Amino acid sequence: MSESSQTIFVVDDDEAMRDSMTWLLEGEGFRVVCFDSAESFLNARRDDMRGCLVLDVRMPEMSGLELHEKLEALGSQLPIIFVTGHGDVPMAVSALQRGACDFIEKPFNDEDILSRIRRALELDAELSARRQRDGAIAHRLDQLTQREREVMQLVVAGKLNKQVADELNISMKTVEAHRARVMEKMGVRTLAELVKAVMTVN
Amino acid sequence: MAEPAPTAKNLTVLMRSLSAQPRQTWLWLAPYVAIGVFALAMLIVTGLLQWRELDTAKSALEGDMHWAERTIENRLQAHQDFLGELGRDQEFKQLTYEAFQVRAGRYVREAPEIIAIVWVDIDGKVEWVAPNESTATFVGDQFAGNRLTALQEALRIRHTVVSPDYRDATLGPMHDIIFPVQRGRADLGAFIAVQSLETMLRATLPTAFTARYSLTVVDAENREVFTNSSVKPTDRQLSGAISLDLPNNRLGLNIVAYRGGGVWLTFLPAALIIILTVVATITLIQLRRHALHRADTEEKLRAAYAFRQAMSNSMITGLRAIDLEGRITFVNAAFCRMTGFSESELVGLKPPYPYWPAEEFDRLQHNIDTALAGKAPASGFEMRIMRKNGERFDVRLYFSPLIDTNGQQIGWMASMNDITEPKRVRVELKRAHERFETVIDGLDSAVHVADVHSGEILFANRAFQNIFGFDCVGRDSAQVTAACRPNTEWLHHDPATLGADQLPCELFDGELQHTLSGHWYHLHERAIRWVDGRTVRVQIAADITDKKHIDEVNLQQQKRLEQTSRLITMGEMASSLAHELNQPLSAIANYCAGCVKRMQAGNYKIDDLLAAMQKASDQAERAGKIIRRMRDMVKKGDPNRQPIALEALVDEARAFADIEAQHTGTQIIVDLPKNLPNIVVDRIMIEQVLLNLVKNGIEAMSDVPFERRQLTLQARQVDERQLEVTVTDQGHGLAEEDMEKIFAPFYTTKAEGMGIGLAICRSIIEFHQGRLWVTPRREGGTVFHFTVPIEESTEDSDE
Repeated sequence: MSESSQTIFVVDDDEAMRDSMTWLLEGEGFRVVCFDSAESFLNARRDDMRGCLVLDVRMPEMSGLELHEKLEALGSQLPIIFVTGHGDVPMAVSALQRGACDFIEKPFNDEDILSRIRRALELDAELSARRQRDGAIAHRLDQLTQREREVMQLVVAGKLNKQVADELNISMKTVEAHRARVMEKMGVRTLAELVKAVMTVN
Repeated sequence: MAEPAPTAKNLTVLMRSLSAQPRQTWLWLAPYVAIGVFALAMLIVTGLLQWRELDTAKSALEGDMHWAERTIENRLQAHQDFLGELGRDQEFKQLTYEAFQVRAGRYVREAPEIIAIVWVDIDGKVEWVAPNESTATFVGDQFAGNRLTALQEALRIRHTVVSPDYRDATLGPMHDIIFPVQRGRADLGAFIAVQSLETMLRATLPTAFTARYSLTVVDAENREVFTNSSVKPTDRQLSGAISLDLPNNRLGLNIVAYRGGGVWLTFLPAALIIILTVVATITLIQLRRHALHRADTEEKLRAAYAFRQAMSNSMITGLRAIDLEGRITFVNAAFCRMTGFSESELVGLKPPYPYWPAEEFDRLQHNIDTALAGKAPASGFEMRIMRKNGERFDVRLYFSPLIDTNGQQIGWMASMNDITEPKRVRVELKRAHERFETVIDGLDSAVHVADVHSGEILFANRAFQNIFGFDCVGRDSAQVTAACRPNTEWLHHDPATLGADQLPCELFDGELQHTLSGHWYHLHERAIRWVDGRTVRVQIAADITDKKHIDEVNLQQQKRLEQTSRLITMGEMASSLAHELNQPLSAIANYCAGCVKRMQAGNYKIDDLLAAMQKASDQAERAGKIIRRMRDMVKKGDPNRQPIALEALVDEARAFADIEAQHTGTQIIVDLPKNLPNIVVDRIMIEQVLLNLVKNGIEAMSDVPFERRQLTLQARQVDERQLEVTVTDQGHGLAEEDMEKIFAPFYTTKAEGMGIGLAICRSIIEFHQGRLWVTPRREGGTVFHFTVPIEESTEDSDE
């Protein structure tokens, strides 16, 4: 399931933890990149990073939760697994509410962390696929002219060609021509496909 | 600012008058000189005039004399000529007696001075007398004496002779004009004309002449023969003498002019001039003296005026005089200064005056009306007026009648005082007093002042009166404050013996409880000198009951905070320990899991595994180090053991526990036997244990009914070494299996809690060589027991 482009980013201030995590995860065939602080991860971060983030909550300077906030603000969709030394329930709740993908308490069982990582990577894969698809539809939508977009919106809303023509005060023939071009540009064959594509983006 | 001007003016006037002094002497000498010159000139003029008049009179006299001489000589000549005619006729015998009578009679009538014409013979015998009626000589009379001698002389010399004068008894002085008649060589006789001198003068000279002059006929020997006036002129200045050369008789005629008014008249002008000059001089002197006196008076007046002016200018009281109609007649500098108007702007004005502010118009008009009616109050009017710049200020105006020198009232004098400042001061003073009273009365502290000797309360503020009664002022402070009064021995000084130089002096500063109300007061007492000089005690008593309470609460809170922070530190320590341990443990788990995974997969290099295992063992070592470090840290907390009464310790712990007990409605019952020996413990540690147990008990009873929420603290001496303390609650009790678990670290039966409390408590107690255990209470609930060491008493050592 895991794709070769996916990487596990480990952020932990403890050198032994980073090293042992690398040891463990590389043994499972994951690609692992370690950072010794939240700041160094932020500096290295790119939008097209794929995989998941294993984040120690308790770190000097910027804590795991603060990093999470920052990443959210940056629009990152990288799934996060928080690692904490002592189960702090309110903190865990707040982290999960923010959409962090998972939460694990130290010391942890190797199977626990591995299953969580796998789940996170699946989520990441799903998200990136969706992003890709949405990106394609958005790209196609961008190619429509203003008039075509108007026609498309009315058509998707379930209006008949005649109604569209009346509303936009153009001829039926023109509506048909626009509609055909919309179908062509959006790469769909049926109205149902068009509706689905538009809904996905919206 | 207007002040220097008049002074300067006065000065210049003074200077001028000083410099004018020598000139004035000149001025004063001039009239004397003028009068002298004038008098001299007048005298000269008068003299000249008199001289001229005299001259004129003299020339007139001379003329008159000349004329008189001629006239008389002509008459005499005429007489001689007539006698000659008669003689010639006789000589030639042509004259008869009758003819003689006719001619002589006629002649005598024409010339009245000739009394009679007589023909005598050579012997002097009268033969003929004409006129017949003449009484001077009768026919047959014989000449004798001088008459005869003169006849004989005339006959001898044969020429006309005039006899010497003789006096007839009735006719006065007279003489004879003798004309001898000869025929040939023979003497016939002589014609004689008897001439009266008086009549001669009267007949020959007109009356106008004789009236003007006094005529005196003198003989040759200058004897007075006859005078026409009995009044002799005294002044002979205007006189002349005529000599009448009669044959053989010399007669002189002295003429003296009568002068109108007499001699004194000539001196009258001069005398008048002199008198006038003298009078003028005297007057001038008097005038001078008067002027000097006047100047002196004026100088004095000016000085007095200047003094008054200076006085009025330097006065700070504004003066204003008005006439009976209210017109301003005078204002002084101070008044101008106050109002800001100049004198010229005010004098002559009638009400309303320009310094009346519009809003005060009615009041001021009423005031001035009252004043003009003479009903101004003696205390004056207090009013608000306006400066020229519009600024308002308060004044007091006193009115008094203005009386002139005749005792007549000519107006009203008003003196004006600016009372803005005094008024402000008064108001300030009043306010200050109000403030003082408000502040003093507003104080929570009770303040009172009492005489040190009599103890009489002189002043007491409201707070004091609230505590000790509202009738306390004037009463004896010892009685009033008996319930809350420092003992005399507590005072630093005996106030009654303090000297004035020792004041102010601190007497007492301390806290005292009111024996009746139970309130606590902080008393501060000092001896000071009172406003009337006597020594008084000032006492300030601040109610500190609340403060005391608050202090207690604060102390409790602080202790609780101490406790809490101690607990937090403990929790933090545990938390940090957990985290620290988590790191190596997690790492070890990871290394191990990684190795296992690799070995299971069969995909490994032995070197990698070895390295991972090595790392894992390093981490295990690290964990060990952490544990050791923690142990070291705990060891460092060296307890500070001291002997202390259990009761004191319990009380302190209770102070903390009470807060929570009240919160939950739990009753804490402390039941300690008397005379418990002191224990030797670290106070804070054992307090902590007690508190923990009490708190646990309280929490354990949180779900039982209120009436059962009772926590009992008891103690008993087990033996000479130990004391057992029990904390009994009536809560839910403990399950049998929990009885020992509760002392395990990190075990808890409570929803919130670290589970470290009882474990630490046990450690602490064990540290004190004691025991901590728990037993169930039969009626429900739990009993915690712990033992602590007793102080080895001196009695023990005695044994």
